Amino acid sequence: MTTLQILVDGFAISSLYALAAVGFTLIFGVSGVLNLAHGGIMLVAALVGWWVAGETPLGTYGGTLVGILAGLLTAYLTYFLVVRPIQRSKAIAQEEKEIFVLTGTLLWGIMIQTGMAYVFSDNPVTMRPLIPGVIAVMGVRTPINEVMIAVLCWVIIGLLWLLINRTPAGKQMLAASINPRGLTLLGFELSQIYFRVWTIYGVLAGVAGVLLASFLGVGTANAGQLTASAFSIVVLGGLGSVSGSLIAAYVVGYLETLTAYLIAPTLRPIPALILLVLVVYLRPQGLLGRR
Amino acid sequence: MTRAFNRRLLFAGVVFVLVATVLPLWLSAYVLGVLTTAYYFGVFSMSWDLLFGFAGEVNFGPTFLIGLGAYTAALLDNAYHPPVVICIAAGALAALVGGVLLALPALRLRGPYFGLVTLVAVLLLQNAIVIFARFTGGEIGMTVPDVLSVDPKLNYWYALAFFVVSAILLYGLSRSAVGLILQASGQDAVEAQALGFNVTKHKLAAFSVSALFSGVAGAMLVFYMGAASVGTIIDIGIGVQIIIGAVLGGRRTILGPAIGAIFLVVGTELLRPLGQLNTFVIAGIALAVILFFPDGLLGHVLRPRENT
Amino acid sequence: MADSNDPVRPAHRILASAAVLALSFSIVGAAPAAEPIKIGVIGEESAVAGASITKAAQMAQDDINAHGGVLGRQVEVVIYDDHSSAADAVRAFQRAVSEDKVSAVVASYISEVALAIEPWAARLHTPWITPGAASTDISKAVHDNYATNKYTFHGWLTSAFIAQSICDFEHDMLVTSSFKVKSTVVMSEDAAWTKPLDERFLDCLPKAGVKVLDHIRFNPDTTDFTPIFNKIEGEKPDVITTGISHVGVQPTVQWHDQRVPIGMVGQSSQATTSTFWKDTNGAAEGVITASAAAPGVALTPTTVAFTEAYQKRFGASPAYDGYTTYDEIHVIANAIKAAGGTDPDKIVDAMEKTHYTGTVGTIEFYGKDDLYTHAIKYGQGLVTGVVLQWQSGKQVTVWPRDKANGKIAFPATITSPK
Repeated sequence: MTTLQILVDGFAISSLYALAAVGFTLIFGVSGVLNLAHGGIMLVAALVGWWVAGETPLGTYGGTLVGILAGLLTAYLTYFLVVRPIQRSKAIAQEEKEIFVLTGTLLWGIMIQTGMAYVFSDNPVTMRPLIPGVIAVMGVRTPINEVMIAVLCWVIIGLLWLLINRTPAGKQMLAASINPRGLTLLGFELSQIYFRVWTIYGVLAGVAGVLLASFLGVGTANAGQLTASAFSIVVLGGLGSVSGSLIAAYVVGYLETLTAYLIAPTLRPIPALILLVLVVYLRPQGLLGRR
Repeated sequence: MTRAFNRRLLFAGVVFVLVATVLPLWLSAYVLGVLTTAYYFGVFSMSWDLLFGFAGEVNFGPTFLIGLGAYTAALLDNAYHPPVVICIAAGALAALVGGVLLALPALRLRGPYFGLVTLVAVLLLQNAIVIFARFTGGEIGMTVPDVLSVDPKLNYWYALAFFVVSAILLYGLSRSAVGLILQASGQDAVEAQALGFNVTKHKLAAFSVSALFSGVAGAMLVFYMGAASVGTIIDIGIGVQIIIGAVLGGRRTILGPAIGAIFLVVGTELLRPLGQLNTFVIAGIALAVILFFPDGLLGHVLRPRENT
Repeated sequence: MADSNDPVRPAHRILASAAVLALSFSIVGAAPAAEPIKIGVIGEESAVAGASITKAAQMAQDDINAHGGVLGRQVEVVIYDDHSSAADAVRAFQRAVSEDKVSAVVASYISEVALAIEPWAARLHTPWITPGAASTDISKAVHDNYATNKYTFHGWLTSAFIAQSICDFEHDMLVTSSFKVKSTVVMSEDAAWTKPLDERFLDCLPKAGVKVLDHIRFNPDTTDFTPIFNKIEGEKPDVITTGISHVGVQPTVQWHDQRVPIGMVGQSSQATTSTFWKDTNGAAEGVITASAAAPGVALTPTTVAFTEAYQKRFGASPAYDGYTTYDEIHVIANAIKAAGGTDPDKIVDAMEKTHYTGTVGTIEFYGKDDLYTHAIKYGQGLVTGVVLQWQSGKQVTVWPRDKANGKIAFPATITSPK
C-alpha cells in the first residue's frame, strides 16, 4: 500500500515540479537568463488567481485564467523592466551582464514578494480544486484535482515539445539556444525570438503557479523556495535541457516523497540537496546538459 | 595609480575615521547600534567583493562562511566558556576550513555552477542547524553568555576599529601584486594563466581571505548581538543584503562595497517609518542603481583607471 | 572642481555623506520628551496574527484616552513592523526605547522574536510583554535570572499550558462524551514552541484517557502533507492532535481535499483568524483549535463588545493575540497608574501585582518562585482560552462548557470521531 501511495503522490508532485522547472530552463537555454524572480512570477499568478476566484463572480475557472494572465504580465515586466535593459546596457561589460541580470532579477523578485505581502499578507492561499472529490488510483485514494494536475502538466509539456520541435518558431528558438550569433547572421530577429520565449515562459510559470495554489497552496514566504527548487532541478537536469529538467524533476520529486514516507518528514529536502552537491561536483553539466 | 589619488584617498579615510570615532559623543544608543551593525555588514560586503570583484567568483552564500564563524564561536562559548577572543579565533578558523573545503572543488566549476554550489552550501548549513536544534537552538537560535560589551559606545568602537582595520587590509591586498593577479584572473582567466599565473592558487587564496574576514566578522557580530539564529545570520536574505550592498557601492573597489553596505543598513533603518514597505523601497532603489548606475555609488570614482 | 576625474571628490563625498547621515539621525531623534505616555508596539504587518497586534493596540489606546488617559496624560501607541524578523524586532525595540522614548513595549507573537528581545529589555531596563508567543523559555529565563530578566512578561499561555488546555478539552468533550475517543496521533511542526507543547501532550493526553499512538514532527517548510496524512491514517487513531502555527492553510486544505477521515483538534494558530475560512476556501470545516477568545462568546463582560468593535473598525475579527494585546495595553496603563509614573522598576512591581479582568479572562502573572515567572496564570477563573470549531464559515466555541455556544459537529467525510 505504501509503495503505491509513494508512486501516486510522487507522480503528482513531480509533474508540478517539472512544469515549473521546464519554463526556467527554457529561458536560460534560449536567452541565457537565470531568472531569480521565477518564484515571484508563480506567486503573482497564484495570489491573483485566488483573489479573482474568491472576490469576483468569475469563479474558479475565471480565476485560473486571470491568474495565468497575471503571471504572463509579470514575466513581461521582468523582461522589459529588468532583463532587457541590462542586456542592452552599454555601461556594463559583456562578461558581467550575467551577474547583473542575476542580481537584477533577484532584487525584482524581492520587490514582488514584499509587494504581494503588503497587498495580500503572507498567509498562504489555495485555489479551489477545479474538480472536487476523490477517486481511487490503483487503490490509493487520490483527489481528482491531483490527477487532473498531473495530466494537465503533461499535456502542456507535450504541447511545448511539439512547439519547439515541430514549428518554425520553435526551431528558431532551438537555434537561438545553440548559436544566437549564427541566427542573427541568417537575418532572424533575436528580439522577436526572445519575446516569444518570455511569452511561453510567462504562461508556463503562470499555469504552474495557479496549479500549485490549487494542489498545495502558495504564500509569499514560498517564493524563494520555489525559485531555489526550480534552480536545483534545472541544474541537476542540465541547464538548458528541457528533457533533462523533466527527468530531474521526477528524480527530485520521488526522492522527497520517499524520504517523507520512509525516513522522516523533517528530513524531506536533504537527499535532494545532497544529490545536487554530488552532481555539481561529479558531473557539473547535469544529467543531460550541454552548455 | 596616481600618487595624488592615493594621498586624497588617505586624507578622506583619515577624516572618515576621525568623524566616525567622535560620533558616539552625541548620537543615541539606538543610532550607534545601527551603525555598529552597519560596520559589520561593511566587512561582509568587502570580503564578498574581494571574491567577486577581484577573483570574479559570485558567492551566493556569503552567509555560509559567516554562519560557520558565528555558530562555531557561539557553540564554543556555550560549551566551554573560553575568553571571547578564543571563540572568535575558533570561528575564524572554522570559516577558513569551511571556505577551503568549499572552494577546492568549487573552483573547478564555471559561472552559474559555482554560484549554485555556494547557495547549496548555505541551504545545507541552514538545514543542519535546524536538524541539530538540540545544540544550536534551531530556528529560534541560541544566546551566548558573554558579550563584547554592554556599553553601546564600546561596541561601536570595537566594530569601527574592526571595520577600519579590515578595510585597510583588504584594500591593501586588492592594490598589491596579488590583487592585480586576482583581477586578471577574474576578468580573463585564460589569459592570466597564459601569462604564467596559477589562477586556481590565487583564487583559493582570495577565498581563504574572504572566509577569514567573514568568519571573524560573523563571530564578532554574534558577541555584539548576544544571540545567533538562522534568521539573523544565515538566511539567504542576509546574503542578498550583502551582495546588494556590494553592487550598490561599486564592485571591484573594496571600499565601495563598504560604503554601500553601510548605506543599505542605515537606509533601511531610516525608512523604518514606512513600516511594511521599507524592504520594497530599498530593493527598488538598489534595482534602479543597478539599471542606471551599474558602477554603483562609488565605483566610478574608486575604480582604478584602466587604460586612460 | 568640475572635472569628473578629479580625485578630490571621494573625500568630499564621503565627508558629506557622513555629515548627512549624522544630521538626519539627530533630526529624527531631536523631538523633545513629549507629554503623552508612549507605549511601543511591535507587530508583523504582513502576517495575519501579527497585524492584529497593532490594530488591537490602537483600539486600546483610543479607549484609554476616551476615559481620561493615564495620570492625566494621553497614551500614545508607537507602531513598528518587524517583518517577522528577530533582528528587525531588536532594532525596532532599540529605536522605540532610545529614540521614541517609550515607557513599555508590547511585541510580537513569534517566539524567536520574543527570545531575541528579552536580553535587550534587560539591557535597556524597559518593561515589555509578548501577547502571543508561546515558548516556555521566555518565562523560564525570567525565573532563572530574575534580577536581569524581570522586565519581561509573557502575555499568553505558555506552550505547556496550551497543551494542558487541549488535554482538558479532549477529556471533557471527546473522551467522556458520545465520541468515546481513545487514541490519537500527535502531529506538530518541528519548531521550538512545539517542543514543550509536545512534551506536555505526551504526558497529559494519556492522563486524559487518550492513548498516543505516534508522534510526528514535520519540517515547518513542508508544503506537501500527503505522506504525513497517509501515515497517520494508516495508524488508525480516533483523532489527530495538532500543534501548528507556522503552517495552517496548506495542511488544512490538503486534509480536506484528500478526504482524510480523521478529525483535527489542537492548536492551529492560523485557524484562529477569521480570514482562515476564505484562505482555505472553506476547507476549515470541522477543524478544532484552541484560541484566546472567539466571536460571540462572553468570556468576560467586555469580550463581545471588543470583538464587535474591532470587527466594525477593521473588517475582520481579531486573531488570538488581538485580544491579549488589547488587554495588555490596559495592564500596562494600569501598572503605570499604580506606579505613579514611568519608572521601569516600579512598573515591573506594579505589573507583578496585576489582577485585571480583560477580554480573555482575568490576568494574573506567576511570581518569582513559580517555574514560569511572569507568565499568565492558567486556570479556571483566570485564563484558559477557548476551544472553537469552524462550522459553516463561523467559529463556534465548544469549550469550556460554561462558555460554549454550540456543539461539536464534524462534517460527513469524517468517520472519526463520530
